[in-house]
Amino acid sequence: MRVLQVLNSLTFRFIARYVIVLVSAVFAVMLLLFAYLSYGYFRELGDGIREELDTLEVVYRGQSLPGVQRYLRDQQSAPTGAHFSYLLTDARGAKLAGDLPRVPRYRELSGGWLAFQRALWFEGKSPDVDFLARSRDFGDGTRALVAYNFADAAQSGGMVFGTLVRAMVATLILGIIGGFFSASFAQRRLEEFSHRLSRIVRENVAERMPVEGEEGHLRELSLVTNSMLDQMSMLMQGIKQVSDNIAHDLRTPLTRIRNKLNQLRANLEPGGQEAVDRIIEDCDDLLSSFNALLRISALESGSRATADQALDLAVLLGDVVELYEPLANDKDIALRLEAPASCAVRGDSDLLFQLFANLVDNAIKYTPRGGEIAVALEGAGDSGARVEVRDSGPGIPAADRKNAFRRFYRLEASRGKEPGHGLGLALVQAIVQHHRGEVSLGDNRPGLRVRVELP
Amino acid sequence: MKVLLVEDDRSVGEYIAGELDAAGYDCALVADGETGLRRAREGGFDVLVVDRMLPELDGLAIVQALREAGDSTPVLVLSALGEVDDRVQGLHRGADDYLTKPFSMAELQARLEVLHRRAGSSGDAPTRLQVGDLEMDLLSQEVRRRDTRINLQPREYKLLEYLMRHAGQVVTRAMLLEHVWGYHFDPQTNVIDVHVSRLRQKIDRDFDAQLLSTVRGAGYRLGGD
Repeated sequence: MRVLQVLNSLTFRFIARYVIVLVSAVFAVMLLLFAYLSYGYFRELGDGIREELDTLEVVYRGQSLPGVQRYLRDQQSAPTGAHFSYLLTDARGAKLAGDLPRVPRYRELSGGWLAFQRALWFEGKSPDVDFLARSRDFGDGTRALVAYNFADAAQSGGMVFGTLVRAMVATLILGIIGGFFSASFAQRRLEEFSHRLSRIVRENVAERMPVEGEEGHLRELSLVTNSMLDQMSMLMQGIKQVSDNIAHDLRTPLTRIRNKLNQLRANLEPGGQEAVDRIIEDCDDLLSSFNALLRISALESGSRATADQALDLAVLLGDVVELYEPLANDKDIALRLEAPASCAVRGDSDLLFQLFANLVDNAIKYTPRGGEIAVALEGAGDSGARVEVRDSGPGIPAADRKNAFRRFYRLEASRGKEPGHGLGLALVQAIVQHHRGEVSLGDNRPGLRVRVELP
Repeated sequence: MKVLLVEDDRSVGEYIAGELDAAGYDCALVADGETGLRRAREGGFDVLVVDRMLPELDGLAIVQALREAGDSTPVLVLSALGEVDDRVQGLHRGADDYLTKPFSMAELQARLEVLHRRAGSSGDAPTRLQVGDLEMDLLSQEVRRRDTRINLQPREYKLLEYLMRHAGQVVTRAMLLEHVWGYHFDPQTNVIDVHVSRLRQKIDRDFDAQLLSTVRGAGYRLGGD
């Protein structure tokens, strides 16, 4: 999986392409050089054969056959120099002189060149001894054939060529392997980068990408990303600030309207009083939304100084359950507390009470008549605790659970049906995070399970 | 009732003073801490309402200065922030009550009445409470109405005790949460109403005269005025 990922990575593809192009280029240059050297070799060889034929013709014309025979003997016994093979035949093709036994079966190449293989008549020898030859008629039917064995040259040429190919293949493989490792290194860096970034976006938008120790593009990318995150936080902050300001600024006039209405209702007929009572209730709902919103903001920004006292969570949960028990009872809901005798945690008792009151309140709101709600507390060793509030209501679909903690988020299903301002869970989360705890939603099969973990 | 209001925000101060005057209180408004402390020391006020944040001398400092001088005039501190720690600190430093802005005038009035009444009743701890024909024996924890004994759950007992101690006064839901349950929080639903209606069932159902009444827009009141 990981290998595939690296192979598919941009870096690897760049490096592989580069290595292939480089190796091909080097191979082409080498091939050109090889062709040039081979051409030079064969031209020299051809010139040598032609000169030899010229010499033979001159000797034949001057000294006839015995001169040629003498010349050939001299050539054979010469200790150095290129060793040509010779054959002199008469008009009928019979051998007159030379070291080749008879006229070979040859292939005709362009430009009067002949090629043959010696093994065709020397039995038992390796068949790939190649000769390049040229023959000439001396005018009276006598033909001279001068051949040169270029097998060695061909062999070393082949070896050079083979080595070249192997070297190229090795370069290619090494390049690809090197490319794989650099790509996997680059890939790992990028993965680290993206992991970190997604964690920042998911968990803590206040965190930033590290710039120290980074180099080059990654450093630049980190810097750009950080400034992007800064802007994002600023915008988010701005939106929160605006909504906070609206809530804050509307609270005072709203309170005054409420006060005035309360005074006015005394002078009204009973029918009018009821209408005013409903308006006052609406005012109270709005005020409670605004207050919840401002409390969430204060908790999130950390500007709210809170108490950090030792308290017994078992007692606190007992109080919550006791407070909500009559409400649950009215809906025929069994509200149970499962808790040890005591469970010490540190925190702000008012905030924690608010937290669990919200959860139990929600549970009662969404659990149908005759349902069940359990508040379960488990102490976790020396410090910390886990509380689960489980209900038998409709629950929250897995896809919506992440959003459920957003401010003003309400499930489509409950929108308009149940009272509430969609801030209950947002406040829960703000309080839990303020206590450095964690809150998660799960499935109670059926129903919702809210788990709160406090350190 | 004479109230001294120390509030630096002119519009808020004038609004509260105006509302209190309209409700029959005698309210003096002062805009800074120094003057506030001087006026408070001159005496003659039943209750002081002091803003938490004031230029130069803040609300808590005024309370502390008064208490150190042996002045026990009840003080209600107003806070714009409603920070719990602030609240705890305020009560610790001698304030008698704490209210978060903005508040309904009904809430402020209910609390002022309670503070005023508490200051009036001298320190003797009663062993019996009585409202109309409803009696509570604080020692045996027995509750009777006429000759019928009423069985109450512990929390119902505490609720009734608080209501009886403040008989004739308006008691708000926030006050009940703070004093009967001991938590300062904002319930999403009127969970208190359910408790009160249970209590009402027990003390009022079988009797002609209804003792526990709901005060719309404010809270509850036990007994007549």
